[in-house]
Amino acid sequence: MADTVISARGLRKVYRSITALDGIDLEVHSGELFGLLGPNGAGKTTTVKILLGLTHPTAGEASIHGIPVSDPASRRRVGYLPEGHRFPGYLTARQTLSVFGRMSGMAAADLAKRIPELLARVNLEKWAGVRVKKFSKGMVQRLGLAAALVHDPDVLLLDEPTDGVDPVGRREIRDLLQEEARRGKAVLVNSHLLSEIELTCSRVAILRAGKIAAAGTIDELTRRESRYKMVAAPVDDRLLASFRDTGAGVERQNGHLLLAVRDVAHVNALVDRLRTQGGSLVELAPLKSSLEDVFVDLFRPPDVDSSVSARIAAAEILRGDAEAAGTGPGEAAGTKEVRP
Amino acid sequence: MRMFAAQVQDVFREAAARWTLVAYFVLSSLFILIFALAVNLDIVNGALAGAKLFGQSVQMGGEQVDLDRLVIGFESGFSAFLYVVGTFLAVFATAHLTPRLQEKGTIDLYLSRPVGRLPLLASRYAAGLLLAASNIVYLIGSIWLIVAWKTKVFHFRFFLAGLVILFAIAVLMAFAFCVGVVTSSTGVSIMTTYALFFFSALFAGHEKLEAGMAHDWQAAIIRGLYWVLPKTAELGRAAVALVGGTAIPRAMSGSLTNLPFVTTAAFGLACFGLAAWIFQRKDF
Repeated sequence: MADTVISARGLRKVYRSITALDGIDLEVHSGELFGLLGPNGAGKTTTVKILLGLTHPTAGEASIHGIPVSDPASRRRVGYLPEGHRFPGYLTARQTLSVFGRMSGMAAADLAKRIPELLARVNLEKWAGVRVKKFSKGMVQRLGLAAALVHDPDVLLLDEPTDGVDPVGRREIRDLLQEEARRGKAVLVNSHLLSEIELTCSRVAILRAGKIAAAGTIDELTRRESRYKMVAAPVDDRLLASFRDTGAGVERQNGHLLLAVRDVAHVNALVDRLRTQGGSLVELAPLKSSLEDVFVDLFRPPDVDSSVSARIAAAEILRGDAEAAGTGPGEAAGTKEVRP
Repeated sequence: MRMFAAQVQDVFREAAARWTLVAYFVLSSLFILIFALAVNLDIVNGALAGAKLFGQSVQMGGEQVDLDRLVIGFESGFSAFLYVVGTFLAVFATAHLTPRLQEKGTIDLYLSRPVGRLPLLASRYAAGLLLAASNIVYLIGSIWLIVAWKTKVFHFRFFLAGLVILFAIAVLMAFAFCVGVVTSSTGVSIMTTYALFFFSALFAGHEKLEAGMAHDWQAAIIRGLYWVLPKTAELGRAAVALVGGTAIPRAMSGSLTNLPFVTTAAFGLACFGLAAWIFQRKDF
């Protein structure tokens, strides 16, 4: 088991009468890319801000490397990319990294070596001497990532890291984050973008109204227990009837079979029946849902009133994905119909 | 120390980028230049035989004036002027420091570093004070040099005015920081600090105000405000008195005591303490 780098127990934050966080437990380990998901107001940013000492929790405790987050020393090995960050426009890219590197305790000599390396890593080496106010949104985002990495931290907290970045840039950022995780860093990504999280993170937590509604690895969350896709030949009514006799749910779809079974033994029994009837197995795979399906299911409420909020939450997420992909909301939503 | 150096550099860079630094020093230089060109003194045997201001002869009554006394009189009078101008310029140039720091998207970048909130606020305050001090040194140093060049009189007590002005700036900046932390507004910081400067000066005549009150409790409030608020008028008089020494009449300078300094310092400390307390507790 890798070291626990970020730990939160029973985190709670109440703003006057609004409960932003309602008892969050969280652990992020070294070498892990952890995604924090949820619609606006779910408590993602509040969680990150508490971890950074920017916001004081009403109850609960949190630590980084075992140091309570109320102690500034806990942030010595932390790099943070806030959402909508505003670097002083009068600074050049090089000066920006120098200011924030020194604030993290780096010596001028180390910075002189580190800054060109980092600027090259985020493809801003040609812009080193240009003032930040001339930068595009994507460039500012990449500079923010460089600033988060300037002191070579062990922990990265990133709030919407690919916000405003073009598809190629997003891919580069994803690669960079995965590389950092491979180097043993703990990376916590806070994002709206389900597809980004699905592509990047090894483990996620989905926040709903200040609570963790679901958590686990992407595989755990997206695996549909007892649902399989089978491609076999020949498939006839006799075979389907034989499958149904065992109590399995069988559905024909686009030339393959969708099977609903009790367990692994049950699916093995179906394979045996196929073979005894002279059929050949071409493909058998457990069915997975996308993170988006999981998300929509989580926000699909039982009553009518809250179904509206679920629809809004899901639509919001899908809109975020669509904007990031450069498509319209309708196109993104087309991949999965959003129903209350 | 690296954080402090980074903050100082950041404050000066920002001042330069926003043209505050340039305006600050251009205005000061303009003033110094006008002063240097405008004053023409005719000195005979170490005494002032004649003077021209903006090309116009100044009436001397046909007598020679003791140059030392003239320099002391001029510099002490000028201290009062610099006290008002220097303080106002400094407040204007530094009032944005906390509101800008607290802007969404900016404060996150600073506080996510391994820096305590108090050291961050204190380094910002020190950087602002350093910016104001650099201008005061430039203004007073240049005027002193011009006077010394024109009169050959080297009166070092003039620099004491700089210390008094810097002290007043430090206290007013603490107040501006407190307002800035609470409101996150540069405009409100500037307006309230200027208001405090004038409002406090009114209380220099608190005895007359108290006498004019209909009730004792009203007089008590006036007296209480006098002791709580900074002594901006008294500090101005103290600058004049310190520069003039015994050479100027007491009626002009007022009596020089420690009390205005002590109570004003207490006000400044209370303001900075309150600013730090609120800043520590704030959620961003």
